[in-house]
Amino acid sequence: MFGLFGKKYSNPALLEELRTRQDRWFVFLDKLETRMDELTTAAVPELHTVYQQDDDPYKRSHGQMLMGLIGQVNHMREKANEVREDNIVSFLYGAEATVPVITSEAGRDYHNRILAFRMACINRYYIFDEKVNEAIVLLKGTEGQQDLEGAYREQLAAFERIRDKFSCKQCGGNITIPKMFFIDTYVTCSFCHSQNTFKPSTAARMVMHNARALAEQRTAQLLRAYEESNPQDRSLYAIYLRAMFNEWNSIVPDMAVENEKFYQRLLEEHTINHFK
Amino acid sequence: MAEEKNKRMLSYLEQLKLKATQQPHYGGDITNEEAQMDIRDCPECGAARAYHKGLTACAYCGFVFMETKLTDGIHIKKENNS
Repeated sequence: MFGLFGKKYSNPALLEELRTRQDRWFVFLDKLETRMDELTTAAVPELHTVYQQDDDPYKRSHGQMLMGLIGQVNHMREKANEVREDNIVSFLYGAEATVPVITSEAGRDYHNRILAFRMACINRYYIFDEKVNEAIVLLKGTEGQQDLEGAYREQLAAFERIRDKFSCKQCGGNITIPKMFFIDTYVTCSFCHSQNTFKPSTAARMVMHNARALAEQRTAQLLRAYEESNPQDRSLYAIYLRAMFNEWNSIVPDMAVENEKFYQRLLEEHTINHFK
Repeated sequence: MAEEKNKRMLSYLEQLKLKATQQPHYGGDITNEEAQMDIRDCPECGAARAYHKGLTACAYCGFVFMETKLTDGIHIKKENNS
């Protein structure tokens, strides 16, 4: 009747478009990945040298360079995202609207083809996204491990050398610094009871700044034991955390009370809302 | 002209490295200082601050060193108020 059911829907132009679009998208992401690989392989040794040569205690030159590179890699991600929105997602909406309804035989066939295109393109994007994350991890991994233990031992020895070398600015009497201080502190002269201000050296101040990192270095094997346990054993994390805070407190005993609160919080936050 | 050429020759990475190392740090460079002892005498009468008389005012002439009321901290306690 009127030949309404005899005509089969056919749109070779759309099929061709799907194929070429997918190819272009794959080639585009391949190119981005190649550029990203080139950037990271060239950047990692450079970052290493900058880190070694950076004499700033906070390694800020290295940090600036690292941020620049991460920005570049993220820019590639943004670019891919933009192209995906403009050329894949919006095209998909348009294509789905032009083909017959999914309940018809031809419609089902075309919808399946569009679905296959969608899955292929989006999956390819996820692979690219994974590679972006890997590149960022690789760039961040160039920091290496600082010899914090050596620096700490050096400061302990330096303090033992200077602790008897000071005299009261008021009466000239000898002052012995009672213990290692990491911030400016009042020290009382035992002869005239004047309040002198002891200013620790920059390197001694850095001990407090690096105390947690040093404690983490000392207890790294405990954290590794927790991370390698499968299924992850929470009691191992608690053991690690306690050991890490004990080390931290032994380096900077002044902050023990405050650190204890922080320890409790970390322990609670680790178990809350986790389904491991 | 030669400088222009040189600039072009520097690859992106080298430029980034140069910028990162030559750029002044936010907050300035860290100068390494040695440990030292200092004292703050009363500017009015020249007396030093005695331990048992507190840190906030001069025990001799009453000059106020600091307006704030001290509370318990790590090294400074509230007993250190004059």
